[in-house]
This record gives sequence, C-alpha cells and structure tokens, in this order.
Amino acid sequence: MKTILITEDSPTTRSMLASTIESLEGYQIIEAASGFEALRLLPRERVDLIITDINMPDINGLELISFVKNNPNYSLIPLFIISTESGEKDLERGLSLGADEYLVKPFKPEQLLELIRRYLG
Amino acid sequence: MTLTDNPSSKALKDFLAESEEIINQLSLDLITLSDSAERGECDPDVVNSIFRSAHSLKGLAGMFGFADIAELAHNLENLLDRLRLGKIPINHLTTSILFDSMELLGALVRSAGTDGSKPADISAAVERINACINTPGDGSGTASIESLGLPEKVLHALTEYEEHRLRENLLKGRSIYSISVSYGLDTFDRELGALFDALKKGGEVISTLPSSSGDMETSISFEILFGSSHETSAVSLICNNADIVITRLGPHVNEGLPSCHTLQSAALSVKVSPGNSSPIDEPVLTAKSLSRSMRVDMGKLDELMNIVGELILSHSTIADLSARLRSHGFSGLAMELTKAAKGLERKLNELQKGVMEIRMTPVGQLFEKMARIVRKISMDQGKKVELKIFGADTELDKVIIEDISDPLMHIIRNSIDHGIETPEERVRQGKSESGVIRLSSYQKGNHVVIEVEDDGKGIDIEKVKRKAVEAGYVGEGGDLSDKEAIDLLFLPGLSTAEQVSEVSGRGVGMDVVRNNIQALSGMVDIESEAGRGTRVVITLPITLAIIKVLLISASGRSYAVPITSVQETLSLESRHIITVERKEVMRLRDMTLPLLRLSRFFGADDSSGSMDCYYVIVVGLAEKRVGILVDDLLGQQDIVIKPLGDTFKGVRGVSGAADLGDQRTILVLDTGGIISEAVRNGA
Repeated sequence: MKTILITEDSPTTRSMLASTIESLEGYQIIEAASGFEALRLLPRERVDLIITDINMPDINGLELISFVKNNPNYSLIPLFIISTESGEKDLERGLSLGADEYLVKPFKPEQLLELIRRYLG
Repeated sequence: MTLTDNPSSKALKDFLAESEEIINQLSLDLITLSDSAERGECDPDVVNSIFRSAHSLKGLAGMFGFADIAELAHNLENLLDRLRLGKIPINHLTTSILFDSMELLGALVRSAGTDGSKPADISAAVERINACINTPGDGSGTASIESLGLPEKVLHALTEYEEHRLRENLLKGRSIYSISVSYGLDTFDRELGALFDALKKGGEVISTLPSSSGDMETSISFEILFGSSHETSAVSLICNNADIVITRLGPHVNEGLPSCHTLQSAALSVKVSPGNSSPIDEPVLTAKSLSRSMRVDMGKLDELMNIVGELILSHSTIADLSARLRSHGFSGLAMELTKAAKGLERKLNELQKGVMEIRMTPVGQLFEKMARIVRKISMDQGKKVELKIFGADTELDKVIIEDISDPLMHIIRNSIDHGIETPEERVRQGKSESGVIRLSSYQKGNHVVIEVEDDGKGIDIEKVKRKAVEAGYVGEGGDLSDKEAIDLLFLPGLSTAEQVSEVSGRGVGMDVVRNNIQALSGMVDIESEAGRGTRVVITLPITLAIIKVLLISASGRSYAVPITSVQETLSLESRHIITVERKEVMRLRDMTLPLLRLSRFFGADDSSGSMDCYYVIVVGLAEKRVGILVDDLLGQQDIVIKPLGDTFKGVRGVSGAADLGDQRTILVLDTGGIISEAVRNGA
C-alpha cells in the first residue's frame, strides 16, 4: 500500500482528489489542510508521494517544496504541484525547487492518475 | 480535475458550501479593506487574503465546470494580483469593482445551486475589471532585494508576492530581519502563531521557510523574514519567549547594537526542547485530517430532529402504559416501568438539547452580510452610513437565520433609502454627516429580538395617514392613532417615499417582510419619531424544531398553542366579558384586553356562545396582546411542527400540524398571525 499526502486548503478539492486517487487500487491518502499540517504529518507517516497546492495559508506550497527537497529524509519523495494557470511564475519556481510534476486546474482525473502510475508504478 | 460530466449531488453541495464560505470571507475582507483604504491605509495581509479567496473560487469552479464563475473569478484574481503587487492603487474605484464582482459571484453561485434560475451575465463585469487592469499604474519606484544578501535557499522559495512585499518594505525604509527559531513538532503551529501575533504588532511577516534541524522526528526550524522599522533590540523584545536568533539583513548598519545577536531568554520560556519528548510516548496520529469541525447537511439535522421528536412521542406512550398498568393492579411492574421511563426522559432531554445546540448559529454571520449590503447601498446612494453591530454572538436556529436574512435586508434597505438623509441634509439638520444604523440582537426568554434602529428622518406619520385615505384603507376623516398609522405601513402599496428607488421599491416590501417574519412565528414592530429616526423590532422564537405547546379545545376541536407565545391563562365568567363598540374585551388588571373567540375565528359552529365560564389564553409577542377565548385547557406537550403542504398554505391562523403520538393529528395555531389579524380588525 502506497501513501499519498495531499496538501490543499480547499476541503472540496481535497476530497475530490482523494476520491479520484482512491479509484485506483493500492493507494492510501493522507490529507493536510495546510502547510503546517503537512509538516507535522511528514515525520510520522511513510509518505510515497506528495501533491501540493501553492496558494495556502500559513506556509505556502513553495516553502513546503523547499522543506521537502532540502531534507535528506524526504528529498526523494516525488512531489506534484497543483496550480492554476495564473500562478505561472510561482509554478516555475516550484519546479526549480525540485518539484517533479505539475498539473494546472482544471485537469482531467486521468491525467493525475497517469502521473501517479508513472511515479509509483 | 474536472467534473463537468455530472458532479454527484454530494460533491455539488460541498462546492456550494465551500463557495459560500469563500464569498463570506471575501466580503469580510473587502469591508476591512475598504474601511482602511478610506483612512489611506492598507493591510497587505488583507489584500492577499482576498486574492487567495478569488484564487480558490476560481480553482473550485473550474473543477465543477462552472465556466462563468471561473471566468469572473479569474479576471478578479488578475486584478487582485496587480493590487497586491502594488501595480494598481487601491481606491474607491477598485474597491467598488471588487464589491460588485463579489455580489455577482454570490449570485452566480446561488444560481449554480438552484439550477433553473437564470444566471447573471458576467460580460459587463469582466469588461470593467479588464478596463481597470489595463490602466497604466503610477510606476512608482522599486527597490532591489539583492542588497539583502538572502541565501539562495530562501530567495528561491519566495513567491512573486513575497518578493514584492520585501521590496515594499525596503521602499518604506524598513529593515528586513531574518528570525530563526526552532520548535517541537507537536507545538510549532501554536508557538509560531503566537510569535506571528507578536511580530505583526511591530511590522510585517513576509515569509516563513521551514527547515529541518537537529532531531527531525521531534523538532522543526523556521526562518522568518520580517520587515519592521524597529531596531534589532526592539525586535528582540517583541519575540521574547524562545531561543531566537535575529539577524538584520542588508546594508543598514547604523545601529548601536551588533547587527547579529542571539537572545537567550530564560524567563517564561515555554519552548519544548527537542530532546525531552520521545516519539514513542506520543499518541499515534490516526485521523487523516486534523480539522476539528465539519459541515453537516441541514436536511440530516432535520431528520435527526424528527427522530428525536418521534422518540419523545414513544416516551409518552410508555409513560401512558405504565399509568394503565398501575390502574390494572400491576403496581410493582408499573413502578419499574415509570422509573425506566423517567431515565429515558432525562436522556431524551439531553439528546434533544444536543441536537438543538448543533442547529444554533450566532447571528454574527447574518450581520456581516448586512454590513456588506449597507456598504453597497450607501455607496450607490451617495449617503454616509455607519453600521454599529451589537450582540453578534446571540444564537438562533440556522433555519431561522436563513429565512430572516431577506426580510432583514429589506428593512435595512428601507432605513438607508427612506430613513437616512443625504450628508448635506443631515448637516442642515444639525446632525453628524454620516448616519448611524444600529443592528442589535439579544435573547429574551425563548425569543431572540433583532432591532434595526436608524437616526434618520423618521416616518412622516401625517403623510402615511393621507396616503391611507387616498388608497382607501381608511375612510375620510377616520381617526387614526400614530401607532395605528405606522401599522398601516405593513399594508400592500403604501409608501411615503417621494421618489421610488431601485432598491426599496414602492414599499411593497413591508407586507412581504411581515408575512415572512410571521411564517417564522415571529413579530415585527415599528417605532418612529419624526426627525429622530426609526426602530424596527423583530421578535423571533429561538427555534422552530421542537416546541412545547398548550393543548386547548374550542367547539369540540383541539388545537395546540406554542407555549412561548402564551403569557398567562385565566378563567373568565361570561358576565365579565364587556362589549365596547361591538368588540368584546375584558379587564385584565389595569388594562383592557381585546378578546377573540377561536371558534368564531375559524368560522366553526359557535356553540360556546352560551357557556357560563371560559378560559382565556393571553397571547402576546412584542407589545401586542390578545386574549383567546377557548372552552378548555387540555395540558402541555412537546411536539414537532410539520408543515401543512401547499394545499393548506393559505389557511390563516394555522402554522402547521403535529402528531400527538396517539394517532391523533392536531393543528398548531399561528399566534403571530392571529394577533396581527386581531389587532388589525380591532379584535
């Protein structure tokens, strides 16, 4: 069972992402409603993939990516950014900080599932 | 992700609930923004919060395929992005665009919720936003953040917005500090939150970069960029409760203290040191989300309430059974059953109270909506209005809050439209330039009172009387008291406004307002003083769900009267009924109480006309009182009111029906409606 951490402040988006991923067999979802929650969950759970939004309260997605990618315990965990087309500059920064993939809202569920399969097999 | 094909109704409900929350937050922030913009200030956190609201709404609407909402939110987001990056100034024009767009978003979300209603057109709004975006900015200077010598790691994790805030702080001549702090993993959000609260009093928290430190299992470090015009020593004082390293960045070195210093504070340190809590001792986190609240569908709560109501009925059947057992000689069994029934009753009461409490919501949310409306209407009308809110934490059934929203809005519109004068006129009258509307709420027994009071010109009572004669409601030369004249405002078609405005219309609203409030078993009252202002008082029951009623009988039929509207009951010998101007009244202490025969009210066979002794139920809401004459009082009971359905919607004097538990159904009297009608007809 692989574990995917979803960091997203919108509860509706979070639960939609979760139910999309749960349609695949063999994945378990952990949800974080903020960057802080993600920071707290990371050391406690064995996470295989992180999906994060950029615009969030407390710490933003870029700060979370920087934390993950600069920490030897987590730097190898694949990380996807979910963003909207207007946040292009921040998206580029996220990729340069080491994010592995990005998806621009609105996207098709299959696109997300395809990426997950590619990284987690 | 898109769900254009067919989002499940559950997902759609989630969308609507979250969108509504976002729009509420948006409106709160907009009010703060426009208030501070008027004072020439601007809190960047507020602008950013508004930006994030528009951004979230856009993402959400996009996923659900609501193209209009997504497009409007997208354009709004573009505008807000420029506002927060300082490319466009925040002024009257921009805030008014923001307010209008928010109203439109609200309308679009509502029409998304009730498919069928024609969605509003967004093209004009989008055009207006884009016209504003394309206005060249003032091109004020920029500052370079390179001089700060930020480490690459920090620099790269800055969003475009954070970079802009850094520059703004430099432009304002503030120093940028790097504050390094380390906290335990369990408590970091609380401690960081407290630190932020302290820091925000002395400057702006620009970014927060987390990093790993020491024992990664138990602690976490943060590097905070903080802009402030204070000296390092003052900043050290601000963050006075943890081991914190404060470094002043950049070229500013004209300070007495060394530019880097470590503060080891011994006193009051609440820091959790990384070593002393082993991960094994900690409770294992099992919950997927740490959020401590959840949304619940109102329908489910109603269902739960119905079940509680049915349980209460089952309980009374059991109590009845034990009484019958006793009368059949099984006193031992009866006693045990009575005891068990008592226990059940206690628990049922707790359950009922619990379910009720879930439904209770503070009226604050409703008042915030009103704040938005006051702002919009006063802006449109060129009037200055200050809204003062009192008792926002008074709690009321969520259903009532929803249903009172429109009537309350109408009353407030009337206040601004017809009550509050223009600034020039107010000054002429020797009043302050801006009018005041007091919106207050408080609990009074089993009722909640909401008052809207303005300091405008008041109602011109002579004019109302003239109009009433013209409209044929009152005969020429009819003698009306001022109070009666004001009550005429609730009749359809009476308005004293010289000019009919777009918002309050022709005063057709007030009869609708009263009907809506009466449908909630409430009452509305108007008091007005010429030149001094008008006060509208709405009295509402705290809840509509389970109520205690008094069962009565009249002409052989039983009815239920909500106990909250019963002030007292008394018996009355028929010889004490006095007839004044062909109306029946009685003396009650030092007042004259109008009487109403229930049987006659419902047009039933008035066999009670010859009885020697009656019971009088004195019902009253707000200031009005009527004595209802009935044949007998049968007892009290808890009931769940069920609506009568469309067929009986027009039946006056009845607000619903209830099941009594012994296969009998009973009509519940609409006391508010009965009182109004009685007062109108002079009983």
